[in-house]
Amino acid sequence: MSVAAAPTAEAGVAVAVSPHPARRWRAWDWLLALILPVSLGIAWEWAVRAGHASGRLMPPPLRLAETAYALIKSGELQTHIAATMTRVGLGFAFGAVAGTAMGTLTGASGVMRRLLDPSLQALRAIPSIAWVPLFILWLGIFETSKLALVALGVFFPVYLGVLSAIQDVDRKLMEVGRVFGLSPFGLVLRIILPAIMPTWIAALRSGLGLGFMFVLAAELLGASEGVGFLLLDGQQMGRADSILVAMIVFAILGKISDSVLVGLSRPILRWQDTVRDRL
Amino acid sequence: MTHLAVQHVSKFYANGTQALADVSLHAGEGEILAVVGSSGCGKTTLLRLIAGLDQSSAGAIAVGGQVMHGTHPTISAVFQEPRLLAWLTVAGNIGFGGRRLKPAERDARTEALLGRIGLAGYGKRLPKDLSGGQQQRVSIARALIGHPGILLLDEPFSALDPFTRASLHDLLLGLWQELKPTVVIVTHDVEEAVFLADRVVVMRPRPGRVSETITPRLSRPRDKLSPLFDAAKRRVMQAIDRSLSEEHRPPPRQAADGSSLWW
Repeated sequence: MSVAAAPTAEAGVAVAVSPHPARRWRAWDWLLALILPVSLGIAWEWAVRAGHASGRLMPPPLRLAETAYALIKSGELQTHIAATMTRVGLGFAFGAVAGTAMGTLTGASGVMRRLLDPSLQALRAIPSIAWVPLFILWLGIFETSKLALVALGVFFPVYLGVLSAIQDVDRKLMEVGRVFGLSPFGLVLRIILPAIMPTWIAALRSGLGLGFMFVLAAELLGASEGVGFLLLDGQQMGRADSILVAMIVFAILGKISDSVLVGLSRPILRWQDTVRDRL
Repeated sequence: MTHLAVQHVSKFYANGTQALADVSLHAGEGEILAVVGSSGCGKTTLLRLIAGLDQSSAGAIAVGGQVMHGTHPTISAVFQEPRLLAWLTVAGNIGFGGRRLKPAERDARTEALLGRIGLAGYGKRLPKDLSGGQQQRVSIARALIGHPGILLLDEPFSALDPFTRASLHDLLLGLWQELKPTVVIVTHDVEEAVFLADRVVVMRPRPGRVSETITPRLSRPRDKLSPLFDAAKRRVMQAIDRSLSEEHRPPPRQAADGSSLWW
């Protein structure tokens, strides 16, 4: 009995000590994940072709592919993507830098926290879209107000993430820094900043997600180009296919940007010893 | 190689509890002093005051004859947990303790210490790849790379298994013999105290104060199985028993052998 059980126990041990406990995505997993969307797509394509549905409000996959192809061929889609990504990129850069700086300031200094944090929390309570009329009034209807809105959306998650991460830094590691003679500035540079890196990256990711949300809001409220404009244009022209293509483009852009961020952060977070092992 | 003197130190916490009451002790140059006592007797508080991590409410702590305020470049510490910086390599962690050294000197010492602690070739690894005992070795190397005058250890081996603990005792004594820092080690393990220390300070709780000081008078290297070692251990245990039975009496004006007031 115990002899029979031995190989199982050994296998269990081998799994436990494998250097990459996190499961990798294999071909089979991809296949499994694709079953639902692909079969739904095929079913819908068939339904429209067989005349069971008109497909006017919900165009079938091949129609979407045609629309996307036409948009790419005319260069329209590229223009829209470039406009949207410029807004997200610049807005994200401003918001992330400001959020990190403010979060570090309020996290590291009790005085600054008591001075600034209540006001920032009050501002955070305002739904960010409510700033749009004011931004348009102040900054005009062109790019600046859009950038400001995206930056605002990115700012708060990054600020909050950095602030709470600094407050969560292990007191024991701070003591190590003090015993070995680090100055307050040295403590920030050598202990606090590396220690908050994982939370910071996570905050940047949620900031980036919000950045896409806000760029869409900005573009819906008035733009002559951008993927959000494509969306609005589709609605006004009654073209469900270009609406859906724009939505898919948003999904792809969001996923790619997030993956780039994760890819860039991976070498920085190599030291992490967590269940997930990696982001 | 620095003389340490703790003079009439008391510590009250913000909530009013008194952690230490008029504690005086000294450690001569290159001496190993063990501080033992039941939990809550203020051992760790005392060590934190010497390290400069907390401020005493009364009294003074002098290093090499100079009263100190805050942390001190010649004082280094090993904590109960390894407390390595997870984002630095093993070599980076050891080098962290020698930030005041020139880079070339620091790298050379790091390399030498890696060999000394039995982790040659592990320099580029990350702390998460090491076992608990290996991490504590790195922590000891980090504390010694700067050749500190005073090395403080706060129950550094209590979380380790007996085999690892014994090998770390040997490692610590070997490094001590090379560099001869003054060592203050807080422990609740009487055998560890007698094995390592030149003198054993017994503390008693509520509030923490020095009960008495025992001198094992054993030659090095010490044999844990010898009758003399056993006798020294028994003397320390009896002192601990006395400290607990005297718990409710007022603190004595001075320690029995007067040694704590020698300056």
